[in-house]
Parts: sequence; C-alpha cells; structure tokens
Amino acid sequence: MAGNFWHSSHHQQWLLDKQDLVRERQHDLSILTEEEYQKILIFFANLIQVLGEQLKLRQQVIATATVYFKRFYARNSLKCIDPLLLAPTSIFLASKVEEFGVISNTRLITTCQTAIKNKFSYAYTQEFPYRTNHILECEFYLLEHLDCCLIVYQPYRPLLTLIQDIGPDDQLLTLAWRIVNDSLRTDVCLLYAPYQIAIGALQIACVIMQKDMKSWFAELNADMEKIQEIARYIINLYELWKTYDEKKDIQALLNKMPKPKPAPQR
Amino acid sequence: MMDYEFKMKTQKDRIKVEDLFEFEGCKVGRGTYGHVYKARRKEGVPDSELKSRPDTKDFALKQIEGTGLSMSACREITLLRELRHVNVITLIRVFLSHNDRKVWLLFDFAEHDLWHIIKFHRAAKANKKQILVPKSMVKSLLYQILDGIHYLHSNWVLHRDLKPANILVMGEGNERGRVKIADMGFARLFNAPLKPLADLDPVVVTFWYRAPELLLGARHYTKAIDIWAIGCIFAELLTSEPIFHCRQEDIKTSNPYHHDQLDRIFNVMGFPLEKDWEDIKKMPEHQTLLRDFKRSNYANCSLTKYMDRHKIKPDSKAFNLLQKLLMMDPNKRITSEQSMQDPYFQEDPLPTQDIFAGCAIPYPKREFLTDDDSEDKTENKNRQNQQQTVRITQYQQQNPQQQQQQGNGDHNHGPNPKRVRLNGPHGGPEFHQHQNHAMQHQQPPGMVYSTNQPTQPSNFHQRF
Repeated sequence: MAGNFWHSSHHQQWLLDKQDLVRERQHDLSILTEEEYQKILIFFANLIQVLGEQLKLRQQVIATATVYFKRFYARNSLKCIDPLLLAPTSIFLASKVEEFGVISNTRLITTCQTAIKNKFSYAYTQEFPYRTNHILECEFYLLEHLDCCLIVYQPYRPLLTLIQDIGPDDQLLTLAWRIVNDSLRTDVCLLYAPYQIAIGALQIACVIMQKDMKSWFAELNADMEKIQEIARYIINLYELWKTYDEKKDIQALLNKMPKPKPAPQR
Repeated sequence: MMDYEFKMKTQKDRIKVEDLFEFEGCKVGRGTYGHVYKARRKEGVPDSELKSRPDTKDFALKQIEGTGLSMSACREITLLRELRHVNVITLIRVFLSHNDRKVWLLFDFAEHDLWHIIKFHRAAKANKKQILVPKSMVKSLLYQILDGIHYLHSNWVLHRDLKPANILVMGEGNERGRVKIADMGFARLFNAPLKPLADLDPVVVTFWYRAPELLLGARHYTKAIDIWAIGCIFAELLTSEPIFHCRQEDIKTSNPYHHDQLDRIFNVMGFPLEKDWEDIKKMPEHQTLLRDFKRSNYANCSLTKYMDRHKIKPDSKAFNLLQKLLMMDPNKRITSEQSMQDPYFQEDPLPTQDIFAGCAIPYPKREFLTDDDSEDKTENKNRQNQQQTVRITQYQQQNPQQQQQQGNGDHNHGPNPKRVRLNGPHGGPEFHQHQNHAMQHQQPPGMVYSTNQPTQPSNFHQRF
C-alpha cells in the first residue's frame, strides 16, 4: 500500500536478487565488462541528476526517476532503448508520479539539448536527437516494463527518522544524505529495502566522521549482514571513483555499448 | 531510439483490450474522466489473464479522456496499483493502446452507484411511490464508505473528490451490495507533499460536497475535507436532497472562493460563530467573507432545523453523527476512525456487509448510452460536470412535474429555467427514516422505506 512499504509493489515485486541481475545482464556483459557496465549506468544516473537539477526538481523526484531507469535495465538490455532517451523519459514520468506536475514537453527537450551541449559535450559530440513524440512513445514502454509499479520508496525519509533517534546532528545528516544520493549509482536500490539503505549510508557516514555508534546500530534489530553488503557496494563505488575519469573514458564506453537496431530494410 | 526486435517482442507480448473484451455499444458512463464501458470477457480468454476471477463475466473498462498518460490517469494507476481494500475499487489491469495512445483501466463491474440510487429514490418520491429497501441500508452504506476512507487515510491517501457518483455499489454476485469507492483521478498521497497540495489543481471536489475551508481558500487538503464530503453524502442519503445544493455556472474556476456555495452552506448550517471556528480568521478569504456576508441573515438557520424539516429528529443517533461529520471547523470534525465507533453503528439495525441485506435490489441496472445521449448531455454541461454521469435527458422526460416545482422549498436562489432541478418537492414521502420512526414500535426491524408493505424476512443483522 501507498503508505506501507511491506504491502507495496516495491517490496513485493521490485526487490530483486543478485542472481536476477546477473542473469538479465548476460547479454550486455558479453560485450561489456562488469566495471564498464557500471560506469555506463553511473554516467546516466549523473545525467538524470543534472537534468533534474536544471528542471528544478526535488531530489525525491530525481531519485524516483533514477530507480525507474535502473529497473528498466535490470530487466532489459541496454540495446533495447537508448538510455539517452530513457533518462529524460524517466524524469518525465517521475515528475507526474511524485506530484511535481507535468513537465512541459518543450522545456524538457530544451533542457536535454542544453545539458548535452554544455555539460556533457565530453560524451556526446552531436546534439540531443530526441523530440516529444519519442519521449511519449518511450513513456508507454517504460510504464509497461515497470508493470505500472510507480510508487518508489526512498531511503531519505527513514534516514530522517534514524537521525532523529540518534539526536540532531546536521553534519551527520548532510553526509549520510549525500551517501544515499551516491547509492543511486550502485545496484542497491534494486536489491535492498530503503530503510536498510538508509542504515547502510548512516553507518558509512559514522565511520567517516569517526562517530562511534556501535551500540546504537546493534539495537536497531536490522539484518546487519545486509547492511554490510550495502556498505560494501557503496564503498566499492568510492574506490572506483578514485581512479576513474568519466570525462576521459565515457565516449569510448558509449561507443562500445550495445545499441538499438532499426527495422530491417527490405 | 528503440530496438526493432525489442519493439516487436513487446508488441507481441502486449495484450490488447479488444482481444480480451467485447464492449462495443456498451458504454455505461461518460464524464470528464473519460468513458466507461460494461465489458464482457471474450470466449476462450483464460482466467489467468484476469488475475483469477473465474466466475466473473462483467467488467468495467474505463477509457481515460485524452491521450497519453495524463496526470489523473497517472494518479489513478499509481495509487490503485498499491491499494487493496474491500471498499476501494480494485484495478485489475492496465491496457496501453499504443496506436491511438489511449489508456484503459480494467475494474470489477459495479451495477449501481449512489448518484443513480438517490435519483431513483427522488423520482419515486415525486411519483409518490415507495421503494423497499432494508432499514439498515443507509447505515451500511455510510459504514462502508467510512471503512474505505479510513483505509485510504491511514495509507496517506486523500480522495479529494468524494460525491455520490463516485460511490459504487456492487450488484448481484459474490460481492453483492458492497460499497466500492472509485474515481481516484484526483486522489493523491499527502505525506510530505513536494508542493502545497492546492498548487496543482486549483479547484477539486465538486462544489456541493466541498468543505467550507476550501471555499475560503485553504491551501492544504486534509482528511477533514473528505469527511465533510461524506457528511454531505450521508445527509443526501437521509433526505434524497443534496444538502448544499447550489446553482452554479462554471466549474473549475481558478478561484476557490465561491459566494453562492457558501451562502447555501450558511443557509443550512447557520453562520459560524467565532467560538465554534476560531481559525476562520486565518482563512485566506476571511476578509471577503466579512465583506460579502452578514451573520444576521442566517440567524434562523441551523442543521437541526434543516434536518427536522426533512423529518430527521435532532435526538436521533443518525443526526448526532451527521452533526459531527458536518462540523464547520475542520479541526473539530470527526475522523473516519472515530465515526466508525459512533453509537449510530452500534444501535439496531446494525450495518450489514450486503447493503441490501439479502433483499431484492430495487434499482434498475445500468443502461447503455448511445452517442446521442452523450451529445445531449453536453447541452447540460453544468449538470454533467456536476454529476459526471448519465441519462440526463431521460430524467428530464420522466420528471416534468419536478421541473415545475423549482424554486419551492428552502433554496433561496431563483430557479434557472434552463437547468433541470433534481430536488423533488419537500414533504412528499421521504426517501428516509422518518416514516420508520413512527413505525418502529409496530414493526419488526426490517424494511424501512415503506410503511404499508409486508416485511420481508431476511438476514438483516448479519454483522461485519
């Protein structure tokens, strides 16, 4: 139910397991290495973030759009729909679902064009190729492949509750909030419940700030093994970022990425 | 760009609404939301396609107005995909028709709704005919409406457009006589809204059922707004008259302040005393209110008097609960949870799961609309918007005498000659309980609307 995570489609249908992801990505991983695949998804999560910020959307909307995007590719190859089309489509849909209203089509397209030209010229040399009709067509496909499950629970609210329990600590909240944002560049939103992700992010934040909260975490009654897995995913992301220069590498990766094939010519 | 193979595969897997259902010429509803058809499963369609509804033949198919995923289509799908309660309509399936970009929603078919039921009683009243229904029916209806709304509210969902046309009642079948709250196109989640709830749709909730705080410019929708609408529906069930009936020119103005509607509310309720509604001073339109209205004009108005004219006694439990639902101050209005505990529901006759309590259903089945009907309806645009429903032309033909009686009764505005007046004359045989009050001692609990019909034995006290 809308107010209850345990009865939600998110919990019942969209907490996948690792094996599902491995199986569904088989095709893409025959072309890309696992690391390359991850870098591509990171790039598009960044794109969604930038588009969302340009459109002045709240982080909640951006996060929901990112989850739609990731859910689609958790079940489909990157070649099925060009991610450059699916990214703005996810934003368009998320904005409606999160009651931010219908983003005007021209505004969405213009924002994409400007962002690609000014912020992502290191990835794309040509201008943004899609128009309103592509977004609208793509929206139906996205909706179908999401099986109309549109309510996504995010870790932000559980995070606020947890911080409240610890006692007000703005620095800790800001840091943990950012880690939650970063977690959208990993698979955790497909694999774990939002409250677990919140705990995982909080744990990393405590380590970084050298805040000893061991006994508090022990009392949470959470599956600490899962929390450790989540933390591992996020720490791996930080490890990757240490050596990875997106601006330098992404164009080659996008070229290597499996692409949609047009209708056969007769 | 999309992959050709992927497109073809998705297309092949996609089930089209016309592959599963027969519904041509079976339109049963038309409104701002779109069209509703009574659809019959085609032969050979396996149960698995319909999420295990083996015995069901009839379904309701709603084709959403316009093309693509509109905001209201999006809301309805988003929320109904997650909701599950016996008194909330179940979304069985969504069909996306790629060619014409239409969105179709599949629901269980509900044979009745409160708009038609109340209309039927009003017509009977005008013709001095009586209708046999269980004494507990109104109570059962109210209880189930509250149950459904309580579920929505406890899941952070506001309905925001409750009115008789949106309260469905199941006909014969395994859910016989069960209330289903429908039309969630306006509904939305309200925990931590990203924008003030009033920003997106300047005006929701049909005027007659709109809470006074909304009419005074309240920026945030609340549970209390749904409760007010339920109070209005309850009063209408008790009397067959829309309690805050008000003529209206245009719906969906961007300004929530509505002079005539407020005037109508004060004419029934009296002008609110400051001690009864302290925060009224904080309402955005409070100054306009002071400018436009004089308390002394409403000195003789009260809900007690209004309901008494409709033969609902002020000491009855029904009246008592009604008063709590129609509290002017939203902060003092009762919640759905509290109302379900009200003594009204503990008093005989108890509410039943089948609102007809096993008795014959006196109401006609839905009729199919022809396209002419919908065209005629556009001429009655106000009415249509008001009720979002059907058969206006037929109604006009049936009730010429009601039209002549416009302006009688306690509505203080002049009749609009072009508009059908739904209110029957007052004082005729009422749709409700007053007759029964007189009869209670002589008659076993049972049928209510008739005083001289034999009582039908049946399972009246089947409890929830």
